[in-house]
Order: sequence, then C-alpha cells, then structure tokens
Amino acid sequence: MRRTLEIIWIVLVALSIFAYLLGDLHYINNFFVAILLVTTFIKVQLVLNHFMELKNVTGKYRWIPSIWLTIVISLIAVAYYLPVK
Amino acid sequence: MHSKAVGKTPYPPGDFAVWIIIYVELITFGLLFLGYALSRRANIEMFNHSQQMLETTSGFINTLLLVTSSYFVAKAVIAIQNMTHNNHKESNKEASKWLLFAMLLGASFLVNKMFEFSYIFGEGITLSTNKFFMFYLLLTGFHFMHVLLGSVILFNIFQKTRIYGYTVEEHKGIVSGALYWHMVDFLWIVLFPLVYIIR
Repeated sequence: MRRTLEIIWIVLVALSIFAYLLGDLHYINNFFVAILLVTTFIKVQLVLNHFMELKNVTGKYRWIPSIWLTIVISLIAVAYYLPVK
Repeated sequence: MHSKAVGKTPYPPGDFAVWIIIYVELITFGLLFLGYALSRRANIEMFNHSQQMLETTSGFINTLLLVTSSYFVAKAVIAIQNMTHNNHKESNKEASKWLLFAMLLGASFLVNKMFEFSYIFGEGITLSTNKFFMFYLLLTGFHFMHVLLGSVILFNIFQKTRIYGYTVEEHKGIVSGALYWHMVDFLWIVLFPLVYIIR
C-alpha cells in the first residue's frame, strides 16, 4: 500500500517505453494504434486516480475527467478508423 | 490528496477553483486534439510525411521527464499530508526536496522542448507551413506555456515549504498546485502518441 505511487510510476514509465518502441516501428498498423490508444487511456486514468487522488472521490467530480478522456480517445479512434471517402 | 483517511469524499481534493481551470483546459485541449485527428483524415499522406520530421526520442524523453516529475510532486503532497504537529518542519523539508526534483525535471522538459522548437524553426517551418505543423506548433506551444506556468506554481509552493509554511490545518495550496502539474502531465500523455507516434 505504501508503495502504490512507486508502482504507478513504474507502470507509467513502462507504458511510455512501450509506446516509444511502437513508434519506432517503421509500419504501425491499425492494431498497434488501438493498443496505443488503450495504453494512453490507462496511463491518464492512473494519473487521475492515484496522483490526483480521484479514486477517493465519489460522484460526478470523480467521473468528469474520465468522461472527457473516454470521449477524446474514442473520437480520436473514430477519426483514425472511419474509412476516408 | 493522498489523505490518510480511508473514507471517500464527494468533493475533489484541493481548491475548487483549480478544478474549474482544469475543466476549461480539458475542453480547450480536447478540441485541439480532435481538430488534429479530424484534419489528419483530410490529408493523411501529408500528416504522415510531416510527422517524420519530428524527433520521437525527444518527445519520449519529455514524457519520462513529466511523468517522473508528476510522481515527485505526488510524493511532496504525501509528505505534507502525513504531517503531524510534531514533525511540521521535517514534513515541509521533505516536500521541499521532492519539489526541487520536480522543478529540475520541469526545467529539463522546457530546455529539451526549446531545442526541438529551434530545430523545427531552423528548418524554416512556421504555423503556415502546413496543417500538421500548425497543429504541432499550436498544441506543443500551448502545452509549453502550461509547463512554464506550472513551473512558476511549483516554485511558489517550493518557496512556501522552505519557510515551513504548510501546516496540518492549512495545506490546500500545495494540493491545488500539484493538481495543475498533474494536469500538465496527463495532457502530454495524450499529446505524445497522438502527434509523434500515430500514423
């Protein structure tokens, strides 16, 4: 319990390294972009819950930033995956 | 933040005014992120080609700097929130140490970003070069200003810890300043893959 922040930091760094390595690939396909978006969602949610301590908040104030994040990541995905005419 | 109390609260930590600022920033950056994603659809080739001029390693280093500085700021807040009347000075000193580390990383972010900007401007790129660089300069330039403001806020909090200014009863200032810094961090966490990696 006392090491929660350290674990969160390690996960954030690990996911950032993972994103960087994906970016280093010459060809990023749709699957990799989906993984990138999901890991981005997880990283921001970890910051919100543990660094900003929203995990101890109930009701709308906990969910407003998470709803923003869900909308933004989802619309980025829609813009990426929707076929271009 | 990081309260010792196990119970949940209906109100977010810190001063509510900082949450109003955070909500406004979320809307502003959210619209810029979506503007980028939608503009990319109209010219995917140009966006992918322009993106290759960016230094991904520089963006990655900046991600590590911000994530780690955010962790240091969270540690500073914990030091203050675990304060008792008996260890008031020690808690402020510990918070001061964590804030100093966080500020150094924030300054490193700014220096690294300035090198990146100087390379981009050296290549003759401006806001009007193309839509990719317009969004790149708007997003990263606007974020740069937020890191700058966040650094000023951290410095003010740091100064207050140096005079043992936070007490068991009153430490909302450090919590609110920390929240702003974490916001700057998570906005970059979205910006980095969107602008530097996804193609």
